[in-house]
Amino acid sequence: MKKYIIAFFLLVISFLYIFLSNETGGARVFVNLMTFAGIYGLAAIGINVHFGWTGLLNFGHAAFMGIGAYTTVLLIPHSLGREGVVISSGLPLPLAILIGILAAALLGLFLGLPTLRLRGDYLAIVTIAAAEIFRLLVRDFEDLTGGVYGIIQFSDSLQNSRPDFITRFGESYDISPSQFWVGLLTWISIIVVLLILSRLKKSPWGRALRAVREDEDAVRALGKNAVLLKLQSFMLGAAIGGLSGIFLVFNYGTVQASTFVPVLTFYVWAALILGGVGSLAGPALGAVIFWVIIAGTDSISRFLFESPDGQQLAGVRFVIVGLLIMFFMIFRPSGILGKKEELLLDVK
Amino acid sequence: MLEQLGNGLLLGVIIALGSVALSLLYGVTRIVNFAHGEIIAFGAIVALFFSSSPDSTLLYLDRFSPLGINFSTSVILSILLSGVFGGLLELCLFKPLRKNNFGNIAVLVVTIGLSIFLRHVYLLFASAKPTSYILELQRREDYFGVQLTPRNVQVLIIGFAVMVFVGIFLTYTRTGKAMRAVRDSSDLASISGINSDYIILVTWVFSSMLAGFTGIIQGVINNVRWNMGFLILLLIFAGTVLGGIGTSFGAMFGGFIIGILVQLSVGLEFMDGHTEAKNAIALALMIIILLVRPQGIFGSKDRIS
Repeated sequence: MKKYIIAFFLLVISFLYIFLSNETGGARVFVNLMTFAGIYGLAAIGINVHFGWTGLLNFGHAAFMGIGAYTTVLLIPHSLGREGVVISSGLPLPLAILIGILAAALLGLFLGLPTLRLRGDYLAIVTIAAAEIFRLLVRDFEDLTGGVYGIIQFSDSLQNSRPDFITRFGESYDISPSQFWVGLLTWISIIVVLLILSRLKKSPWGRALRAVREDEDAVRALGKNAVLLKLQSFMLGAAIGGLSGIFLVFNYGTVQASTFVPVLTFYVWAALILGGVGSLAGPALGAVIFWVIIAGTDSISRFLFESPDGQQLAGVRFVIVGLLIMFFMIFRPSGILGKKEELLLDVK
Repeated sequence: MLEQLGNGLLLGVIIALGSVALSLLYGVTRIVNFAHGEIIAFGAIVALFFSSSPDSTLLYLDRFSPLGINFSTSVILSILLSGVFGGLLELCLFKPLRKNNFGNIAVLVVTIGLSIFLRHVYLLFASAKPTSYILELQRREDYFGVQLTPRNVQVLIIGFAVMVFVGIFLTYTRTGKAMRAVRDSSDLASISGINSDYIILVTWVFSSMLAGFTGIIQGVINNVRWNMGFLILLLIFAGTVLGGIGTSFGAMFGGFIIGILVQLSVGLEFMDGHTEAKNAIALALMIIILLVRPQGIFGSKDRIS
């Protein structure tokens, strides 16, 4: 119970910080931050299914997010950046999103099949390599993906479905209505995904997954197919990652090869470790706190450098991200909401 | 295709040296060190800082100016400092973790945090744009049909010499034997009176010196930049996995294969216009190797189950 009180106070302090440090446009900053937090939180929930539930080390989440996003965006009306092709017809958005999520799950299957038999640390190397392969291919095959120029003008498919009251609400509080809509949908998705996961976690399947994490041999001895269980978990987490990637590109309004760089995965990991590996709502909470910290680091940059440029801002941000990951892993591996007994910290 | 062989050998020597260092550390400590690339970059950046002329604006914070020492002295100092750096990492970070029984996965995540932290410290302190050492430009010449600059030939020879030295060190010296003993079984090694803490410290220092040297070579062949370690790290992983993780000879071999393969693939017809995808080929090969022979070419099976 104590940790929920701590979590509540951390949230209150975070929100107060946002509104107090931005005298004008606080609502706008808040919506921007919560949208990013929601997207990263959703992605972290995906990794949590891998790592927290099953003990799989996935450091290539950017690839799952990316394939979900690219698949969806390519299926709806879009145009390739910088004098590329304009495609004005496409599938309805919900169907495209569904296919995007499936594509991410399929990539999970494709990557999981060869690697899930291997020991945990190999999976870490393979997933990080797969994410890099994905990024390099996206960058190189410009005809399909727009390469570094990316894909633009696809947001309308989502924004056309925006209800009027959101637009009015946004305008009256000086919030970007389109971002508000993306953020709202993201948080609704988080709630839906968490509801499904909470059912799954209590199901025999969820218990079997945790058993795989604790002792794979014991699971085998009981006649369960441990590799199949790991594969299912890998695909489920990948699918959730794909969904978060879709929201990410709708929030940006564009998608380029540089959207899904390896550091994206590390951001998501930082949010997960902060919030609590293995707990249900931990990743979402961690993502909110993480983004408030990131917002805070920008004021550190302004303190260190008189007028920090993008490079210095990014440098300071990532120095903090690296320290956060190390600090929490060493001193509080269970994060804010996790349980220490629920953590897999040794290789098997 | 043959014109790429020279580049392949050069990339191969970088990856091979980096793989040996990574593999040695993994063998003795069981740490999959994602911060390995940052130790490589450390060597390169320190050598750059020592050797560049004092009036160049090399570093991001203008209150530091480069030292302008001659290049070979800088290289030696930088290798020594890389060793000290690795030793400090072991003493201040990894030894306490080991004493508190941190699991491998926890340590792996810590090395990822460390890697992100160090890399962006470099970004803040060192120049973000690729910088070269102050060495005069050289023209490529023909060596048995392979096009290389004279300096790069020297680099290749020195790289090979260092690898032979590492091999002799591991095979014949007392410390090298002790390292291999700890690698094969740390319990049995302790029973035989080997101080495993000391051996692990020596391994960290030795592996980091090797990594720092790798970075300098990479800097000489290409250039120095803040994220050079991360760019090469995945290829080093590929080389290590190909040769067999935890084996030294295998890592050298795997590193060379990966380097040559990456560069040769540039000449392939279907790769035309897809310059970035060459690294993807090496990484894909690594995944295939894991699929068909997860212990690598020279690895033993008990390491992977």
